[in-house]
Amino acid sequence: MRRLANLVLLLVAVALCYGLQMSKPHYADLIGPIPVRGKVGDVVVGRSFEVRVEKVQFARKLRADRYGETKVLTTGGVWALVTVEFAARDASTVVSTASWRGPTRLTYDHTERLSFINNGFLPVTVDPGLQKKARLVFEVRPEEVGNATVLISSKLLAALDSQAEISIGPVAASSDGMPAGTVDTLDLTQPVDGLPK
Amino acid sequence: MTAQDLAQDNRLGEKKWRRRSLWALLVLIPLTLAVEAYDSVKALLVDNDLFERRVAWGESAHFGGSDWKLTDLRGAFGMKNLPPGTVPVLADFAVTVGNPDLQNLWLGCKVMLIDAEGRRWLPTSAVRLNAPDNVQTCISAIFSGAKTGDVLNLRETFLVPKDVTNTIRPAVGVGSERPYFLLFQMEKD
Repeated sequence: MRRLANLVLLLVAVALCYGLQMSKPHYADLIGPIPVRGKVGDVVVGRSFEVRVEKVQFARKLRADRYGETKVLTTGGVWALVTVEFAARDASTVVSTASWRGPTRLTYDHTERLSFINNGFLPVTVDPGLQKKARLVFEVRPEEVGNATVLISSKLLAALDSQAEISIGPVAASSDGMPAGTVDTLDLTQPVDGLPK
Repeated sequence: MTAQDLAQDNRLGEKKWRRRSLWALLVLIPLTLAVEAYDSVKALLVDNDLFERRVAWGESAHFGGSDWKLTDLRGAFGMKNLPPGTVPVLADFAVTVGNPDLQNLWLGCKVMLIDAEGRRWLPTSAVRLNAPDNVQTCISAIFSGAKTGDVLNLRETFLVPKDVTNTIRPAVGVGSERPYFLLFQMEKD
Protein backbone atom coordinates (compact mmCIF):
# COMPACT_ATOMS: atom_id res chain seq x y z
CA MET A 1 0.00 0.00 0.00
CA ARG A 2 2.78 2.37 1.04
CA ARG A 3 4.77 1.50 -2.08
CA LEU A 4 1.73 2.26 -4.24
CA ALA A 5 1.25 5.64 -2.50
CA ASN A 6 4.89 6.53 -3.20
CA LEU A 7 4.47 5.58 -6.85
CA VAL A 8 1.36 7.72 -7.17
CA LEU A 9 3.19 10.63 -5.53
CA LEU A 10 6.08 10.23 -7.98
CA LEU A 11 3.72 10.21 -10.96
CA VAL A 12 1.94 13.33 -9.68
CA ALA A 13 5.32 15.06 -9.28
CA VAL A 14 6.34 14.09 -12.83
CA ALA A 15 3.00 15.35 -14.20
CA LEU A 16 3.37 18.61 -12.25
CA CYS A 17 6.92 19.16 -13.50
CA TYR A 18 5.88 18.42 -17.08
CA GLY A 19 2.95 20.83 -16.76
CA LEU A 20 5.25 23.54 -15.41
CA GLN A 21 7.75 22.95 -18.22
CA MET A 22 5.04 23.21 -20.87
CA SER A 23 3.15 26.18 -19.48
CA LYS A 24 5.76 28.45 -17.91
CA PRO A 25 7.78 31.02 -19.90
CA HIS A 26 11.26 30.14 -21.09
CA TYR A 27 14.18 31.40 -19.00
CA ALA A 28 15.25 33.71 -21.83
CA ASP A 29 11.78 35.29 -21.78
CA LEU A 30 11.86 35.70 -18.04
CA ILE A 31 15.11 37.65 -18.06
CA GLY A 32 14.46 39.32 -21.43
CA PRO A 33 13.90 43.02 -22.02
CA ILE A 34 10.94 44.63 -20.26
CA PRO A 35 8.80 46.35 -22.90
CA VAL A 36 7.63 49.95 -22.46
CA ARG A 37 5.12 50.64 -25.20
CA GLY A 38 4.05 53.85 -26.90
CA LYS A 39 3.29 55.37 -30.27
CA VAL A 40 4.74 58.09 -32.46
CA GLY A 41 4.81 61.38 -30.52
CA ASP A 42 4.59 59.76 -27.05
CA VAL A 43 7.38 60.16 -24.52
CA VAL A 44 8.25 56.56 -23.72
CA VAL A 45 9.96 56.39 -20.33
CA GLY A 46 12.31 53.46 -19.72
CA ARG A 47 14.54 52.73 -16.74
CA SER A 48 17.58 54.68 -17.85
CA PHE A 49 16.38 56.83 -20.76
CA GLU A 50 13.28 58.32 -22.31
CA VAL A 51 12.58 58.62 -26.00
CA ARG A 52 10.04 60.30 -28.27
CA VAL A 53 9.67 59.46 -31.94
CA GLU A 54 9.26 62.73 -33.80
CA LYS A 55 8.72 61.53 -37.34
CA VAL A 56 9.19 58.58 -39.67
CA GLN A 57 10.32 59.06 -43.26
CA PHE A 58 10.94 56.65 -46.11
CA ALA A 59 13.40 57.01 -48.96
CA ARG A 60 14.86 55.07 -51.85
CA LYS A 61 18.32 56.57 -51.34
CA LEU A 62 20.28 58.30 -48.61
CA ARG A 63 22.90 60.98 -49.10
CA ALA A 64 25.63 61.23 -46.47
CA ASP A 65 29.07 62.79 -46.12
CA ARG A 66 31.99 60.45 -45.77
CA TYR A 67 35.41 61.98 -45.14
CA GLY A 68 34.47 65.07 -47.13
CA GLU A 69 32.94 63.29 -50.12
CA THR A 70 29.25 62.80 -50.64
CA LYS A 71 28.08 59.23 -50.74
CA VAL A 72 24.72 57.99 -51.98
CA LEU A 73 23.45 54.78 -50.40
CA THR A 74 20.96 52.77 -52.41
CA THR A 75 18.91 49.82 -51.23
CA GLY A 76 17.00 46.86 -52.63
CA GLY A 77 14.18 47.64 -50.18
CA VAL A 78 13.41 50.98 -48.65
CA TRP A 79 15.20 53.17 -46.10
CA ALA A 80 13.17 53.92 -42.98
CA LEU A 81 14.47 56.96 -41.15
CA VAL A 82 13.14 57.57 -37.65
CA THR A 83 13.93 60.91 -36.03
CA VAL A 84 13.93 60.59 -32.24
CA GLU A 85 14.61 62.72 -29.21
CA PHE A 86 16.37 61.10 -26.27
CA ALA A 87 17.04 62.15 -22.69
CA ALA A 88 18.62 60.25 -19.82
CA ARG A 89 16.64 59.82 -16.61
CA ASP A 90 18.86 59.58 -13.51
CA ALA A 91 22.36 59.36 -14.94
CA SER A 92 24.25 59.91 -18.18
CA THR A 93 23.96 56.81 -20.30
CA VAL A 94 24.40 55.47 -23.81
CA VAL A 95 21.61 54.27 -26.07
CA SER A 96 23.20 51.85 -28.44
CA THR A 97 20.72 49.54 -30.15
CA ALA A 98 17.55 49.83 -32.17
CA SER A 99 15.67 47.51 -34.47
CA TRP A 100 12.62 47.58 -36.69
CA ARG A 101 10.04 44.82 -36.18
CA GLY A 102 7.69 44.45 -39.13
CA PRO A 103 4.07 43.27 -39.00
CA THR A 104 5.17 39.66 -39.66
CA ARG A 105 7.69 39.97 -36.79
CA LEU A 106 10.64 40.01 -39.19
CA THR A 107 13.16 42.12 -37.29
CA TYR A 108 15.74 44.36 -38.94
CA ASP A 109 18.72 45.66 -36.97
CA HIS A 110 19.82 49.27 -37.21
CA THR A 111 21.92 49.68 -40.36
CA GLU A 112 25.69 49.52 -40.05
CA ARG A 113 26.20 51.17 -43.44
CA LEU A 114 26.27 54.61 -41.80
CA SER A 115 28.78 53.74 -39.09
CA PHE A 116 31.22 56.24 -40.57
CA ILE A 117 29.04 59.06 -39.20
CA ASN A 118 29.70 59.53 -35.51
CA ASN A 119 27.25 62.25 -34.63
CA GLY A 120 23.49 61.97 -34.43
CA PHE A 121 23.41 58.20 -34.95
CA LEU A 122 23.63 55.26 -32.57
CA PRO A 123 25.31 54.90 -30.16
CA VAL A 124 24.09 58.16 -28.62
CA THR A 125 25.33 59.52 -25.29
CA VAL A 126 22.45 61.09 -23.40
CA ASP A 127 22.41 63.14 -20.22
CA PRO A 128 19.65 63.92 -17.69
CA GLY A 129 17.63 67.02 -18.54
CA LEU A 130 19.26 67.46 -21.95
CA GLN A 131 17.17 66.49 -24.95
CA LYS A 132 19.22 65.04 -27.77
CA LYS A 133 18.01 64.33 -31.25
CA ALA A 134 19.19 61.36 -33.25
CA ARG A 135 18.32 59.46 -36.40
CA LEU A 136 17.62 55.75 -36.47
CA VAL A 137 18.06 54.23 -39.91
CA PHE A 138 16.76 50.86 -41.04
CA GLU A 139 16.92 49.12 -44.37
CA VAL A 140 13.70 47.12 -44.67
CA ARG A 141 11.43 45.40 -47.16
CA PRO A 142 8.57 47.69 -48.28
CA GLU A 143 5.91 45.25 -47.05
CA GLU A 144 7.43 45.33 -43.54
CA VAL A 145 6.75 49.04 -43.15
CA GLY A 146 3.09 49.29 -42.09
CA ASN A 147 2.17 48.53 -38.45
CA ALA A 148 5.82 48.10 -37.57
CA THR A 149 7.37 48.60 -34.15
CA VAL A 150 10.67 50.35 -33.44
CA LEU A 151 12.55 48.72 -30.55
CA ILE A 152 15.13 50.83 -28.71
CA SER A 153 17.31 49.73 -25.82
CA SER A 154 20.46 50.97 -24.20
CA LYS A 155 22.38 47.71 -24.49
CA LEU A 156 22.47 44.93 -27.05
CA LEU A 157 21.50 42.35 -24.43
CA ALA A 158 18.88 44.27 -22.50
CA ALA A 159 18.32 41.51 -19.92
CA LEU A 160 15.82 42.75 -17.34
CA ASP A 161 16.24 46.28 -18.65
CA SER A 162 13.51 48.30 -20.30
CA GLN A 163 13.13 48.37 -24.06
CA ALA A 164 11.08 51.11 -25.71
CA GLU A 165 8.63 49.60 -28.19
CA ILE A 166 7.10 52.33 -30.32
CA SER A 167 4.40 51.38 -32.81
CA ILE A 168 4.58 53.22 -36.08
CA GLY A 169 0.95 52.58 -37.06
CA PRO A 170 -0.46 51.88 -40.50
CA VAL A 171 1.40 53.22 -43.53
CA ALA A 172 -0.44 53.37 -46.85
CA ALA A 173 1.28 51.74 -49.82
CA SER A 174 1.49 53.47 -53.18
CA SER A 175 0.92 51.72 -56.53
CA ASP A 176 4.56 50.60 -56.86
CA GLY A 177 4.44 48.85 -53.47
CA MET A 178 6.54 51.52 -51.74
CA PRO A 179 5.17 53.26 -48.62
CA ALA A 180 3.18 56.41 -49.41
CA GLY A 181 5.32 59.53 -49.17
CA THR A 182 8.58 57.74 -50.03
CA VAL A 183 11.02 60.33 -51.31
CA ASP A 184 13.77 59.61 -53.80
CA THR A 185 16.69 60.83 -51.69
CA LEU A 186 16.95 61.88 -48.04
CA ASP A 187 19.79 64.20 -47.16
CA LEU A 188 21.68 63.22 -44.00
CA THR A 189 24.48 65.71 -44.49
CA GLN A 190 22.76 68.28 -42.25
CA PRO A 191 23.09 67.65 -38.49
CA VAL A 192 19.86 66.39 -36.94
CA ASP A 193 19.86 68.96 -34.12
CA GLY A 194 20.57 71.92 -36.42
CA LEU A 195 23.82 72.68 -34.58
CA PRO A 196 27.05 73.05 -36.57
CA LYS A 197 29.20 69.93 -36.76
CA MET B 1 15.58 -9.56 16.99
CA THR B 2 12.43 -10.42 15.05
CA ALA B 3 11.50 -9.12 11.62
CA GLN B 4 8.80 -6.97 13.25
CA ASP B 5 11.31 -5.26 15.55
CA LEU B 6 13.60 -4.59 12.59
CA ALA B 7 10.77 -2.99 10.61
CA GLN B 8 9.86 -0.79 13.57
CA ASP B 9 13.51 0.27 14.00
CA ASN B 10 13.65 1.18 10.32
CA ARG B 11 10.50 3.27 10.59
CA LEU B 12 11.84 5.11 13.62
CA GLY B 13 15.15 5.74 11.85
CA GLU B 14 13.31 7.02 8.80
CA LYS B 15 11.22 9.40 10.90
CA LYS B 16 14.30 10.71 12.66
CA TRP B 17 16.11 11.36 9.39
CA ARG B 18 13.07 12.96 7.78
CA ARG B 19 12.89 15.39 10.69
CA ARG B 20 16.64 16.06 10.51
CA SER B 21 16.36 16.72 6.76
CA LEU B 22 13.54 19.20 7.23
CA TRP B 23 15.55 21.06 9.89
CA ALA B 24 18.57 21.02 7.58
CA LEU B 25 16.49 22.83 4.92
CA LEU B 26 16.18 25.76 7.29
CA VAL B 27 19.95 26.16 7.07
CA LEU B 28 20.51 24.97 3.50
CA ILE B 29 17.97 27.20 1.73
CA PRO B 30 19.32 30.50 3.12
CA LEU B 31 22.85 29.20 2.55
CA THR B 32 22.10 28.41 -1.11
CA LEU B 33 20.57 31.84 -1.61
CA ALA B 34 23.65 33.45 -0.07
CA VAL B 35 26.06 31.45 -2.25
CA GLU B 36 24.02 32.13 -5.41
CA ALA B 37 23.71 35.84 -4.67
CA TYR B 38 27.33 36.36 -3.60
CA ASP B 39 28.69 37.21 -7.07
CA SER B 40 25.78 39.50 -7.91
CA VAL B 41 26.04 41.40 -4.63
CA LYS B 42 29.81 41.68 -5.04
CA ALA B 43 29.38 43.02 -8.59
CA LEU B 44 26.76 45.49 -7.38
CA LEU B 45 29.11 46.83 -4.71
CA VAL B 46 32.32 46.83 -6.75
CA ASP B 47 30.84 48.36 -9.94
CA ASN B 48 28.70 51.14 -8.49
CA ASP B 49 29.21 54.38 -6.63
CA LEU B 50 26.62 53.88 -3.91
CA PHE B 51 27.67 55.50 -0.64
CA GLU B 52 28.92 59.07 -0.49
CA ARG B 53 31.75 60.40 1.66
CA ARG B 54 31.30 64.14 1.96
CA VAL B 55 34.34 66.37 1.68
CA ALA B 56 33.99 69.90 3.07
CA TRP B 57 34.94 72.86 0.85
CA GLY B 58 38.67 73.54 0.85
CA GLU B 59 39.57 70.24 2.47
CA SER B 60 41.22 67.25 0.89
CA ALA B 61 40.30 63.60 1.31
CA HIS B 62 42.42 60.46 1.10
CA PHE B 63 40.87 58.30 -1.62
CA GLY B 64 42.32 55.58 -3.83
CA GLY B 65 45.74 56.05 -2.21
CA SER B 66 45.96 59.79 -2.96
CA ASP B 67 44.74 63.08 -1.51
CA TRP B 68 41.95 64.69 -3.54
CA LYS B 69 41.01 68.34 -3.32
CA LEU B 70 38.43 70.24 -5.34
CA THR B 71 40.01 73.49 -6.46
CA ASP B 72 37.33 74.95 -8.71
CA LEU B 73 33.88 74.37 -10.14
CA ARG B 74 32.65 76.91 -12.64
CA GLY B 75 30.36 77.33 -15.60
CA ALA B 76 31.71 78.42 -18.98
CA PHE B 77 28.82 80.73 -19.84
CA GLY B 78 28.46 82.44 -23.20
CA MET B 79 29.76 79.65 -25.43
CA LYS B 80 28.23 79.35 -28.87
CA ASN B 81 27.04 76.31 -30.83
CA LEU B 82 25.59 74.53 -27.81
CA PRO B 83 22.06 73.20 -27.41
CA PRO B 84 19.80 75.89 -25.90
CA GLY B 85 19.47 75.89 -22.11
CA THR B 86 22.78 74.11 -21.55
CA VAL B 87 26.04 75.26 -20.00
CA PRO B 88 29.48 73.63 -19.89
CA VAL B 89 30.82 73.13 -16.38
CA LEU B 90 34.49 72.64 -15.50
CA ALA B 91 35.54 70.77 -12.38
CA ASP B 92 39.18 71.14 -11.31
CA PHE B 93 40.95 68.92 -8.80
CA ALA B 94 44.44 68.97 -7.31
CA VAL B 95 45.47 65.43 -6.41
CA THR B 96 48.58 64.72 -4.36
CA VAL B 97 49.71 61.25 -5.31
CA GLY B 98 50.34 58.93 -2.36
CA ASN B 99 50.49 55.36 -3.64
CA PRO B 100 51.73 55.66 -7.26
CA ASP B 101 50.04 52.43 -8.42
CA LEU B 102 47.31 54.43 -10.14
CA GLN B 103 46.67 51.77 -12.80
CA ASN B 104 45.23 49.51 -10.11
CA LEU B 105 43.93 51.95 -7.54
CA TRP B 106 42.24 54.35 -9.95
CA LEU B 107 40.87 51.73 -12.31
CA GLY B 108 37.45 52.78 -13.62
CA CYS B 109 37.98 56.33 -12.37
CA LYS B 110 34.73 58.26 -12.78
CA VAL B 111 34.20 61.95 -12.16
CA MET B 112 30.54 63.00 -12.00
CA LEU B 113 28.32 65.93 -11.21
CA ILE B 114 25.40 65.14 -8.91
CA ASP B 115 22.47 67.52 -8.42
CA ALA B 116 20.05 67.93 -5.51
CA GLU B 117 17.76 65.23 -6.92
CA GLY B 118 20.63 62.76 -7.21
CA ARG B 119 20.84 62.90 -11.02
CA ARG B 120 24.34 62.21 -12.33
CA TRP B 121 26.19 63.69 -15.31
CA LEU B 122 29.32 62.17 -16.80
CA PRO B 123 32.00 64.18 -18.66
CA THR B 124 31.02 65.25 -22.16
CA SER B 125 32.84 65.04 -25.44
CA ALA B 126 30.51 67.62 -27.01
CA VAL B 127 32.49 70.56 -25.62
CA ARG B 128 36.20 71.02 -26.16
CA LEU B 129 37.90 73.82 -24.27
CA ASN B 130 41.57 74.63 -24.41
CA ALA B 131 43.43 73.74 -21.24
CA PRO B 132 47.03 74.30 -20.10
CA ASP B 133 49.45 71.46 -20.89
CA ASN B 134 49.73 70.27 -17.30
CA VAL B 135 45.99 69.65 -16.98
CA GLN B 136 44.90 66.04 -17.35
CA THR B 137 41.73 64.04 -17.04
CA CYS B 138 41.28 61.32 -14.46
CA ILE B 139 41.81 58.57 -17.05
CA SER B 140 44.87 60.15 -18.67
CA ALA B 141 46.43 60.70 -15.24
CA ILE B 142 46.34 56.95 -14.62
CA PHE B 143 48.91 56.50 -17.37
CA SER B 144 50.96 59.61 -16.57
CA GLY B 145 53.54 57.73 -14.52
CA ALA B 146 53.04 60.09 -11.58
CA LYS B 147 55.21 59.42 -8.51
CA THR B 148 54.53 59.76 -4.81
CA GLY B 149 54.31 63.42 -3.86
CA ASP B 150 53.46 64.68 -7.37
CA VAL B 151 50.48 67.00 -7.62
CA LEU B 152 48.20 66.25 -10.56
CA ASN B 153 45.88 68.90 -11.94
CA LEU B 154 42.76 67.16 -13.19
CA ARG B 155 39.97 68.78 -15.12
CA GLU B 156 36.73 67.29 -16.38
CA THR B 157 34.24 69.08 -18.62
CA PHE B 158 30.50 68.50 -18.38
CA LEU B 159 27.41 69.74 -20.17
CA VAL B 160 24.42 70.29 -17.88
CA PRO B 161 21.05 72.07 -18.02
CA LYS B 162 21.34 75.71 -16.88
CA ASP B 163 18.78 75.27 -14.08
CA VAL B 164 20.92 72.75 -12.15
CA THR B 165 24.11 74.81 -12.01
CA ASN B 166 23.32 75.96 -8.45
CA THR B 167 22.81 72.53 -6.98
CA ILE B 168 25.41 70.36 -8.72
CA ARG B 169 28.31 68.97 -6.69
CA PRO B 170 31.32 67.14 -8.12
CA ALA B 171 31.92 63.52 -7.14
CA VAL B 172 34.71 61.02 -7.75
CA GLY B 173 34.65 57.24 -7.74
CA VAL B 174 37.58 54.84 -8.28
CA GLY B 175 37.65 51.06 -8.52
CA SER B 176 39.64 50.48 -5.34
CA GLU B 177 37.19 52.44 -3.15
CA ARG B 178 33.80 51.39 -4.53
CA PRO B 179 31.02 51.31 -3.36
CA TYR B 180 32.17 54.53 -1.63
CA PHE B 181 32.67 57.75 -3.56
CA LEU B 182 33.73 61.30 -2.68
CA LEU B 183 31.11 64.04 -2.82
CA PHE B 184 32.70 67.47 -2.68
CA GLN B 185 30.76 70.22 -0.94
CA MET B 186 30.82 73.83 -2.10
CA GLU B 187 31.74 76.92 -0.08
CA LYS B 188 28.08 77.83 0.51
CA ASP B 189 27.09 74.35 1.81
